[in-house]
Amino acid sequence: MSTRAVIDISELPHHEFDTYDPVWWGNNFLLAIETSMFGILIATYFYLRQNFTEWPPPVAQLTATLKPLPQLGYGTAVTILLLFGCIPMVLTDIAARRGNRAVSQIGLIIAVACGLAAVVLRGFEFSAVYFRWDSNAYGSVVWFMLGMHMLHLLVLTTEAILLMIWIFTREYDMKHRVDIVTVAVYWYWVTAIWLLLYAIIYFTPRLG
Amino acid sequence: MSHKEAQKRTEERVAPRSRQVTRMELEENELAAAMEREREELERTWARPSGLRGWFTDTDHKRIAMRYIKTAFVFFVLGGIEAALMRIQLARPENHFLSPDQYNQIFTVHGSTMMFLFAVPIMTAMGIYLVPLMVGARDVAFPRLNLFGYFVYLTGGLLLYTGFILNTGPDAGWFAYVPLSGPAFSPGKRVDIWAQMITFTEISSLVGAIVIIGTAFKMRAPGMSLNRLPLFVWAQVVTAFMIIFAMPAVMLASSFLASDRLIDTHFFNPAEGGDAILYQHLFWFFGHPEVYIIFIPALGFISPIIVTFARRKIFGYVAMVLSLTSTAFIGFGLWVHHMFATPIPQMGESFFTAASMMIAIPSGVQIFCWIATLWGSKLNIKTPLLFVLGFFAIFILGGMTGVMLASVPLDLQIHDTFFVVAHLHYVLIGGSVFPLFGAFYYWFPKWTGRMLSESAGRLNFWLMFIGFNLVFFPMHQLGLHGMPRRVYTYLPETGWGTLNLIASIGAFVLAGGVLVFIINAAWALRAGAVAGANPWAADSLEWSIASPPPNYNFHNIPVVQGRYPIWEATADAPVVRGLSTTKRETLVTSVMDAQPELRFDIPGPSIWPSLVAVAVAVTFIVGIFTPWAFLVGAILAGITLICWFFADPNYENKTARETGERSQRVSPRPELQPKEV
Repeated sequence: MSTRAVIDISELPHHEFDTYDPVWWGNNFLLAIETSMFGILIATYFYLRQNFTEWPPPVAQLTATLKPLPQLGYGTAVTILLLFGCIPMVLTDIAARRGNRAVSQIGLIIAVACGLAAVVLRGFEFSAVYFRWDSNAYGSVVWFMLGMHMLHLLVLTTEAILLMIWIFTREYDMKHRVDIVTVAVYWYWVTAIWLLLYAIIYFTPRLG
Repeated sequence: MSHKEAQKRTEERVAPRSRQVTRMELEENELAAAMEREREELERTWARPSGLRGWFTDTDHKRIAMRYIKTAFVFFVLGGIEAALMRIQLARPENHFLSPDQYNQIFTVHGSTMMFLFAVPIMTAMGIYLVPLMVGARDVAFPRLNLFGYFVYLTGGLLLYTGFILNTGPDAGWFAYVPLSGPAFSPGKRVDIWAQMITFTEISSLVGAIVIIGTAFKMRAPGMSLNRLPLFVWAQVVTAFMIIFAMPAVMLASSFLASDRLIDTHFFNPAEGGDAILYQHLFWFFGHPEVYIIFIPALGFISPIIVTFARRKIFGYVAMVLSLTSTAFIGFGLWVHHMFATPIPQMGESFFTAASMMIAIPSGVQIFCWIATLWGSKLNIKTPLLFVLGFFAIFILGGMTGVMLASVPLDLQIHDTFFVVAHLHYVLIGGSVFPLFGAFYYWFPKWTGRMLSESAGRLNFWLMFIGFNLVFFPMHQLGLHGMPRRVYTYLPETGWGTLNLIASIGAFVLAGGVLVFIINAAWALRAGAVAGANPWAADSLEWSIASPPPNYNFHNIPVVQGRYPIWEATADAPVVRGLSTTKRETLVTSVMDAQPELRFDIPGPSIWPSLVAVAVAVTFIVGIFTPWAFLVGAILAGITLICWFFADPNYENKTARETGERSQRVSPRPELQPKEV
C-alpha cells in the first residue's frame, strides 16, 4: 500500500474576475507600460516648453501678434463623450459580473457608439491646434499626444466592438465575461489619461 | 455582484477542497498503471506541432526560449566578429584594414547587436525557459503572446543585418545621438534602420516582461508564497518591472527620431524649438536601467549556482531580495551620469553622483551574502561555479571604475575615452556574460539531457578569463592616456601601439574561449554523458522533472514546502490533483500566498501570433520609407488581431469548450479519487 496526500482542485472554476485571472494582470501590465509612455510624453511636453518664451509660440499677423491657443470645442466634446461612455461601461461591467447578458449587450452598444463618435471628433480635433506637426516643436509634441491617445481610442473601440460581436453571436461564457470586465478597466484608463492630457494641452497654456 | 462577493464565492468553492489535504491509499501497481495512462493522455494533449508548421504555431515556452537563446547566441557571435574586426583595425597605428565609414558602421552595429539583439533577449529567454519550471507551471501565462514576441525580435535582428550587409548599416553609435543622427547630418536610411530595430526589440522585450511577471505572479505551485520564490525568479520579476518602466522612454526617443527624419517633426531641431539634449535624457532614462536589465538576471543565475555548489542555503535571502529591488529603484536615478559633459545644473550633477555611488551599496550587500554562503562550505568547484568566481573578480573591478566615473571631475577628464570602454565591458561582460556562460554549463543538462565536458569547460573559462583581461585591462591605461572612443585609427607618435596590440591579441584568446564552448556544446549534444533529472543535486523545482522536460513540464503540480523545494520536500509531500489530462490546463494561484484559484485554460498552438508579427514587420519596415505604411499596417494588424481573437483558444478541445462552462469540469479518474482519512 502506498499513501500520498493530495490537494484536489477539480472543483475550481476556469475563469474568475479581477485579480484571479491572468488576463486581468496582463492587461494591467500593458496599461502600466502605456502609463509610463504617457508620463514621459508629458515630461517631453514640459521640457520643450522651456525652449519657448510664449507657449504656444505667437504668430505674427498684419496688425498684431496672435496667441494661437488650442480651441476648446472638439477636445471638450471628446471629454464629455468619454465621460458619458463610462456610464454604460460601468453598467456593462456590473452586468458581466452578474451574468446579465442583455444589459451587457445594450451597455456595449452605447459604449461603442460613444467610442466611435470620439474617434471621429478626435479626427477634427487636430484642426483645433493652430500648428501642424511640422510647423514647430510645439506642434510636433501636441500632435503626438493627440495621436497616441487616438491610437488607444481606436484599439479600445475595436476591442469593444469585437466583444460586442462575440456576445451577440456566440456564448456569453465566463471567459468573455472576464474579458468584458477587463475592457472596462481599459475604458476607465483611456478616459483618465485623456482628462490629464486635456487639462495639459488645453489649460496649461491658458494659465500663463 | 460586487468584487467582495465574488471573492467570497470563490473562497467558498476553493477553501474546503484546497486546504483539506486528504490521503489516498491505493495498490501500487494499480496506481502505476493509472499514472501511465495519464501520462499518455498528457503527451497527446500537449503534443507539439512539428516541422514548418511547428515553427510558426508552436507555443511551448521551452521551444520558444531555446529559439531565443540560439538566435541571440548567433547575434553574440556576429557581434564578437565585429569586435574582432575593430581590434584588428586598432592593433597598430595608421592601419588601413577598415575604412572610417566601415569602422563607424561596425562599432554601431557591434554595440546595437550586443545590447538589443544579444543581452536583453537572451536574459529574457532564460526566464521564459526556466521561470515556469521553477514555479511549477505547465506553460507561461500568455503562450501565444510569447510566440509573437520571438518573431518580432527576429524581424528586428534581420532588419539590422540586412541593412549592414547592403552597406546601409547604422553609423551614429549604438545610442544614435542627435544632431548627428538627425535628418541634417545623416541622410539616407541608415539611422532609420536603427530606429526601427529598436522598435522591434523593445516590443519583444515588453512582451517578454509581461509573460514573465504573469507567470511568476499567477502560476506558482501551491505553497510557493512570495517569500519562498526562488532568487532566480525574483531577479527575473524585478527585471521585467524595470523593462515596463524603462523601455517606453527609448520607444519614444526612437519614434521621435524616426518622425523627425520621415515627416519633418521638430522634436530635436533647435531651430524650431526642439532640443537635442532631450534626446539624451530620453535615451538614458532607458539606457541606464538597461544596464541593470542585463545585469539583474545574471544575479539571478549566480544565486542558484552558488547554492548548488556550496551545498548550503543562501545567506540572507531577504537581504538579497531587498538588494535586487533597491538596485532596480536606484537604477532609475542614475541616467544623468551619462550626460555629465552636457550643461546640467550642478545641483543635478551632485544628486546623480550621490545616486551613482549609492547603487554600490545593494551590489555590495549581495556580494557579501554570496561570500558568506561560500565561506567555510565544502566547495564543489565545477565549471558553473568557476564562471561565478570569475564574475566576482571582473565585476568588482568594473564596479570600482564605476564609482570613479560617478565623480564629475574625473568623468569630464575621461569622458569618451577608452577608460569608459574598459569600464562598461568590465561590468557588462563581467557582470552578465560570465554568469551567463556559467548558467549555460549549469542548465545545459536540463535543456538537452546531456552534460557538457568539464575539462573543456575549464579550458573555456580560463581562455575567456585571461583573454578578457588582456583585451580590456590595457584600455583603462589607454583611456587615461587620452585615447578617444569611436575613432578608427591613431598616430604612431601617441605611443598607444603596444597596449592596443596586447588588447587585440587578448581579443583572439577571448574568441578562442567562445569557440571552445561552441565545440563543447556540439560534442555534448552527440556524446555528452547522460545527465538524468538532477545531475548537480540542486534544490529548485526544474530539477525534479526529467531532462529535457516533457512538453507538459509537470505531471502532477507539486506542493512546495520551503524555499528549497527539493531539499526540503518530505517523503509524503502532497501533490495537486484534478487538472485535466485531455485539455491544456494549468493551476492559477493567488499572488501572495499561492493559494489555488483557477484551473486556467492555457491557449495551444496557433498561427495568428506569427501573422500579427508579420503585420508589425510590414508596418515598421515599410514605415522607413513612407508614413502610409502605418495606415496599411494598422489595417493588417487589425485583421490579424481580430482573427487571433476569434480563433479557438485551445483547438485540441473544441468539444469540451462548446459544452459550456460547468460541464467542462474534469474529475480525477475514478480510481484516483482520494479516500478520506
